[in-house]
Amino acid sequence: MDTDNAPVPAGPRDVPPPAAPPPPPWQSVQPWQRITVGTPGPEFEALPPGEYAYDVPDTECDGWSTGELAMRFASVRGAKHRYYRQPRQDAARAAVHAASGSVVFAVADGVSSASEAEQGAVAACRAAVERMLDLLDGAGGRVDLRDVACRAADRLGELTRWRLGGKDPEFSEVAGLYATTLVAGVVRPHPEGPVVEVCRVGDSGAWALDRASGRYQQLFPTKTGTDVLLVSSTVTPLPHVPDPLEQTGRRLSPGEVLLVGTDGFADPLGDGDGQVGSLFAAHLARPLPPLWLAHLLDFSRETFDDDRTLLAVWPSAPGGRR
Amino acid sequence: MSETRGVLLPAYVLADESGSMSPYLGDLSDGLTSLCEGLRAEPMVAAKLRLAVLGFSDDVQVRLAVADMRTESTLPQMVIRGLTSYKAVFEDLLQRIPADVQWLRGEGYKVHRPVVFLLSDGQPTDGRSWRSPHAQLTDRSQTPTAPNIIACGIGDARADTMLEVATRPEFAFVAKSGTDLGQAISEFFHSLTSSLVASGHALNSASPQLVVNRPEQFTMAIDEV
Repeated sequence: MDTDNAPVPAGPRDVPPPAAPPPPPWQSVQPWQRITVGTPGPEFEALPPGEYAYDVPDTECDGWSTGELAMRFASVRGAKHRYYRQPRQDAARAAVHAASGSVVFAVADGVSSASEAEQGAVAACRAAVERMLDLLDGAGGRVDLRDVACRAADRLGELTRWRLGGKDPEFSEVAGLYATTLVAGVVRPHPEGPVVEVCRVGDSGAWALDRASGRYQQLFPTKTGTDVLLVSSTVTPLPHVPDPLEQTGRRLSPGEVLLVGTDGFADPLGDGDGQVGSLFAAHLARPLPPLWLAHLLDFSRETFDDDRTLLAVWPSAPGGRR
Repeated sequence: MSETRGVLLPAYVLADESGSMSPYLGDLSDGLTSLCEGLRAEPMVAAKLRLAVLGFSDDVQVRLAVADMRTESTLPQMVIRGLTSYKAVFEDLLQRIPADVQWLRGEGYKVHRPVVFLLSDGQPTDGRSWRSPHAQLTDRSQTPTAPNIIACGIGDARADTMLEVATRPEFAFVAKSGTDLGQAISEFFHSLTSSLVASGHALNSASPQLVVNRPEQFTMAIDEV
């Protein structure tokens, strides 16, 4: 073969190299960095909770809108529970009552001394939400919040009875297994602005956030107000239902957001006029992605290592703008 | 600005420095070292505590001022001296605790009810004169920052005295008869560390509470009277 006249295969020297394809846009996307407020707490990889806490994820969030209301909630495991291999003991649940367009919600903080606190919190939320939906179906749609709280307490009793193999439980046995705080309520759409009815057992909180000014108006008295010399350590959670039950109601103006949170959020928030209040006021001005709410709520701040749960309900502005 | 930097538990260790503790100075120092190291090993708990160590005999002397144990590097040094004046203890705490609480609040913290762990190896040598300042210190209407007091007696300290000093019967302990005092001191500090760690866990939760663990080799004083 005459190698001089043999065809020369096309090679890289003869063809201009193709232009490198542009990097896919996601290559430049960085993971969300933990938000710190003031002095951060220690950074570490979360440890798994106990074997049988597999049904309690580290973080939960949800969000949706009706024509008149937008709801978001997130619940994140605190640093203390991530470090000491314990599950998140906060919970939140929300549902829309289709016939009335009302949003019913419940937020609970399982008491750490209860051995199944995480289950107590979820059970109380479910029972409260189910009962409120039932009551809204009734004549006039009146929601008796005492009835709701009692139903949640009864559910904890039923769980305990099941746990004890059918034996009628003592009050202390219910509390020892499933004690939890609870804030439960309903937001009803109304042409003049949605109306909130809410009750609580224990020390979780509720606020009306004025979106324009960033001011937080507490709907219940706080345990750590600025005028309190020492922090109170008296909390009476479910299954106890106080008489009278602490409850309140108000109309939300178009510029307000209803917030409901456990003390993991309430304690660092304080009166809301500091950095934590400013952070949330800025991001809660309008409905935000549920995952972003969870990320926000997972901010790091020294000494604040409790589970955090926050639920928000925004009214729709005329024309659907929120 | 009302935003809080955190919620703290001020804890005071009152250690008897009277002459009869002389043979046990090494045990006291070892106990304090293990307490400090134990808290440093739990930075998340230590962040929520402020620890003071006070030595008492004829008077009260500060061996460690209210400190953040995550960053405190000095170890408190005890000094054996004098008699056992409980009056000096409670008069000192009557001034010290409200001032410390005010200072912490001024620093932007909220504060849980302070806790005092008192270790004594003998009966007070000042008769009954301590009862008046003790009553004033523990009366929450007179002293809003009234502490919880856990009293542990070793050696000649009597169960009925520990019961009077402690703010609740279940907070009073005495070493079991025949217990080696050095070991009792070690157990006191071991229990103190675990109580503070457990309390640190229970604070800032839905059920903040003080956890007090009975030291090994100790019995509840209420069972001894």
